[in-house]
Amino acid sequence: MLGFLVQRLLQAVVVIFAMSIIVFLGVYAIGNPIDVMIDPGATQAIRQKLIEQYGLDQPLWQQYLTFLTNVVHGDLGTSMVYNVSVIKLVFSRLPATVELVFVAVMIATLIGIPAGIYAGYRPNSIPAKAIMALSVLGFSVPTFWIGMLLVMAFAVNLGWLPSGGRGDVGSLFSLQTSLVTLDGWRHVIMPAFNLSLFMMGLLIRLTRAGMVEAMQTDYVKFARAQGLPDRQIVFRHVLRNISIPIVTVFGLELGSTLAFAVVTESVFNWPGVGKLIIDSILQLDRPVMVTYLILVVILFVLINLVVDVIYAQLDPRVRLKGGK
Amino acid sequence: MTKSFLRSAVTALAIMAAAPAVYADDLIIGLRAGPDSIDPHWSTLGSQAEALRHIYDTVVDVDDKLQLKPGLAVSWEPIDDTTWEFKLREGVKFHDGSDFTAEDVKFSIERIPEVTGPMPMTLYTKYVDSVEVVDDYTLRVHTKGMAPALPNDFTRLFVVSDGTSMEARNEEFNSGEAAIGTGPYKFVSWEPKGDLVLERFDDYWGEEPAWEKVIRREIPDDAARVAALRSGDVDMINYVPASDYLAFQNDDSLETFISDSIYILNIAPSVKDEEPQPITVNGEPVDGNPLQDLRVRKALDLAINRDVLVNVVLEGLGNPANQLMPEGFFGYSEELGPREYDIEQAKALLAEAGYPDGFEIDFTCTNNRVPGDAVVCEALAQMWARLGLKVNAQALNGTVFFPAAAREEYTMTMSAWGTLTGEAAYTYGALTHTKDAEKGFGNFNRTGYSNPEFDKVFDEGTQTLDAEARKKLYEEASYIAMEDRALIPTVILQTVWAADKDTVEITPRVDQETRAYEIKPAK
Repeated sequence: MLGFLVQRLLQAVVVIFAMSIIVFLGVYAIGNPIDVMIDPGATQAIRQKLIEQYGLDQPLWQQYLTFLTNVVHGDLGTSMVYNVSVIKLVFSRLPATVELVFVAVMIATLIGIPAGIYAGYRPNSIPAKAIMALSVLGFSVPTFWIGMLLVMAFAVNLGWLPSGGRGDVGSLFSLQTSLVTLDGWRHVIMPAFNLSLFMMGLLIRLTRAGMVEAMQTDYVKFARAQGLPDRQIVFRHVLRNISIPIVTVFGLELGSTLAFAVVTESVFNWPGVGKLIIDSILQLDRPVMVTYLILVVILFVLINLVVDVIYAQLDPRVRLKGGK
Repeated sequence: MTKSFLRSAVTALAIMAAAPAVYADDLIIGLRAGPDSIDPHWSTLGSQAEALRHIYDTVVDVDDKLQLKPGLAVSWEPIDDTTWEFKLREGVKFHDGSDFTAEDVKFSIERIPEVTGPMPMTLYTKYVDSVEVVDDYTLRVHTKGMAPALPNDFTRLFVVSDGTSMEARNEEFNSGEAAIGTGPYKFVSWEPKGDLVLERFDDYWGEEPAWEKVIRREIPDDAARVAALRSGDVDMINYVPASDYLAFQNDDSLETFISDSIYILNIAPSVKDEEPQPITVNGEPVDGNPLQDLRVRKALDLAINRDVLVNVVLEGLGNPANQLMPEGFFGYSEELGPREYDIEQAKALLAEAGYPDGFEIDFTCTNNRVPGDAVVCEALAQMWARLGLKVNAQALNGTVFFPAAAREEYTMTMSAWGTLTGEAAYTYGALTHTKDAEKGFGNFNRTGYSNPEFDKVFDEGTQTLDAEARKKLYEEASYIAMEDRALIPTVILQTVWAADKDTVEITPRVDQETRAYEIKPAK
C-alpha cells in the first residue's frame, strides 16, 4: 500500500513538471503579457522598463529556472494583475468551487443512482422510460443553455431563487462556506443542480445498464428461488456487484465536474476559481495559470487514488500491488 | 420529532422563497468589470479607475463629456513654461478624519513610481520633474519640458494620505486597512472578482450622494448580468448587449440609457515598404506594398458603408466615425466631413492604382475587446469583397491579437481605441506620429505611417501652452492624418445602461464610467 502511494506521488510530481513546462511554453508562444495588459498611453520607455522589471526580457529557460527556484523556496509567485500571493488568491476562490461541486455531486448521486436502480429494476415501466429520456437530455444539452433556462424560470419569471452570486457566507470549523446559511443554500441550489445534470445522466444510464444485466444473472435467480425479498437482493447483492463501474465513472466525473464548473460559474456568476482562471488566461497572468493547473493535476491524482482504494474495498480480487 | 422536523422544513422553505428585503437607500449595480486592487496607484485600467473614484478623489475631475472640471484642485494654471500651479480645495477630510493638504498630493505623485504594476500609472506622472509645496493649499509641479496636457493627466491622479505606505502591499488596501481616501464613499469590503461594498462618507466635501450603501457587483457574463437585472438582484447594469437592448425597449419595468462612447473601431493598414503578411494577386506576392498608395487606402475607405455597419451590423448601437475621436473633443477637426460611401469611385481609384482586379489581403481583428468588434470585422471583409478584393478576415482573442500586433506581424488590423483623456495628443501622439522613443510618441504606431508635415504641426502643439492655439494645431494635425488615411475610422460604439425604472435615474457618461454618486433615485 505504501509503495503504491509513493509511486502515485512520484507520478504526480512528473505530471506537474510537465504541466508547468507546457504552460510556460504556451504563454511564451502567445507573447508578452505586458502587450496584453499595458495601457495605450504608455511610452516605449515605460514598456521596456516593465518588461525588464518582470524579467520577461530573459530567455525562456532562464525565466523557467527562476520560477522553479522560487517554487523550491515555497513561493509560487505573485499575480501580475492583482499583486497578491497566487496561493492566497486561488485558495480564496477555491472553497466556493469545491462547495458547488460537492453539492452537485451529492445531487447527482442521490437522484441518479436511485433513479437508475428503479429504471433497471422495472425497465419497461413508464416512469423508467421517462427517467431514461431525461437522462439523455442531461448529457446531450449544453450546460450553459440549461443554466440560462433555469435562471429564466426560477429567478426571472418566478422570482423564487436569486439569479447568481454566492449569498451569505458562514463559517464551519474555520472553513468559509455558504452551506451553513439559508441564504447560501438558496444561492447554491440552482447552479449545483445545473452542474449535476451531466453526471446525473451518466450515473442513471450506468446504474440501469448494470441493473438490467445483473437481474438476469444466475445468482439473482438463485436468490429469488431461495425466497429472498427483492429489496434485499437489489441492495445487498446486485448493487454491490454493479458498483465497480459506477465508482470508476464517479471518480472520472468528479474531475470533469470540477472542470465544467467554469461554465456554470459564469452563467450563475458564482465567485469560484473558474472565473479567476478564465480571466487569468485572457490576461496571460502566468503565475495564476501555472498554480491553478498544478492544483488541478494534484486533485486529479488524488481522486484517482481514492477511486483505486475504493475499488479494492469493493472487490477483493483487485489487489493494489500486483493485481493491476 | 418528525412533526417538528416537518415544521422547521416548511418554515425554511417559506423563508427561502421570500424575496430578499430591499432598502430604498441602497444601490446594487451589476458591472462587467471591477477593480484589480484597492490600491489606486496600482493600475490604469478603466474599470479600476471607475471603481476607485468612489473612495479616492483625483486632483482634476472630468464631466460626463470628458471635459475637465475641478476635483481636489479648484483651479490650475501654467505660471511659466515648465511650471503648473494648482490651487487646492480647503476643508477636505480623509475618511479617517485627517485634513487634506498639498503634502498629500505631493506624496501621491511620488508614490506612483514605487508601487505601480504592469499597467503603469507612471503614464500620468511622466512629465513631472519635481513637486513643490508652496503652502497647504498651493502646489507647484515642475515639468520635464513643456507639458500642456498635465491637467488631463491629473484626472487619473488619485490622492491618498501621506501616511500611506510607500510599498505596494495590495493586501493592506484590499483588506481596507489602507483604503483611506477623500472620496464620497468609504470602503467596506472587496475581494478579487467579487463585490465592492461602499458606505456613504458623511464629511464629503461635494454634493451628498443619494445612496447610503452601494454594492458594485462584478458580473462579467452578459447573459448573467441581464438575468440579475431582470430578476431584481441588482438595480442597474452596464454594458447591455445589443440583442437585449432591443428586448428592453419593450419592457415597461425597465429603462435604458444610451450614450456615445469614446471607443472607435479603426482600421490600421500597414504602409511599410514590405508588408508583414504578403498581399497577393493570383497567389503571387505583388511588388511593393499596395497600401502605401493613398488611392488604395482611399478606395478601402470609400467602400465602407458606415450606415450599414451602424444600423444592421451593430443593431443601431453606434454612429459613423470620421476621425479617431468623437465630436467635441479637444482637437476634433470640424473641417472633416462625413465619410462617403461610393463603391464606383472606389473601384476606379483601385484601377488607377494598378489593381483593376483587386488583390488578396489578410485582415485581423479582435473578437472580445468591445461589443461588435468581430461582426464589424466580418462585415468589412464583405464590403471589400464588393470592391473586388479577397479579404481573409480573422477575428482573434485579444490575448493573441495584442502581442502579435505589438510585434507588427499583421498587414491590416482593426481594433478599438478610446481617447481616454478627452484630447487629441493622447490619440494622435500614440497612433499616427512617427515612432520616436525619445519623445515618447508613436508607441502604438504599428503601420509605419510617417508624415513630416503631421509631425511638425503636432510637435508644435505639444510645445504650446496657450490652449486656443494648441487646439488649432491639433485640429490641423487631425485633419492631415485623416486625409492621409493613416488610419481609417469606421464607427463610434455606443454604451447602454439599463435600470429598474422605479429605482434609478442615470446620466450616461461618454467614458462609460458608472459612478454611483452621480446616479439619482427615480422620481
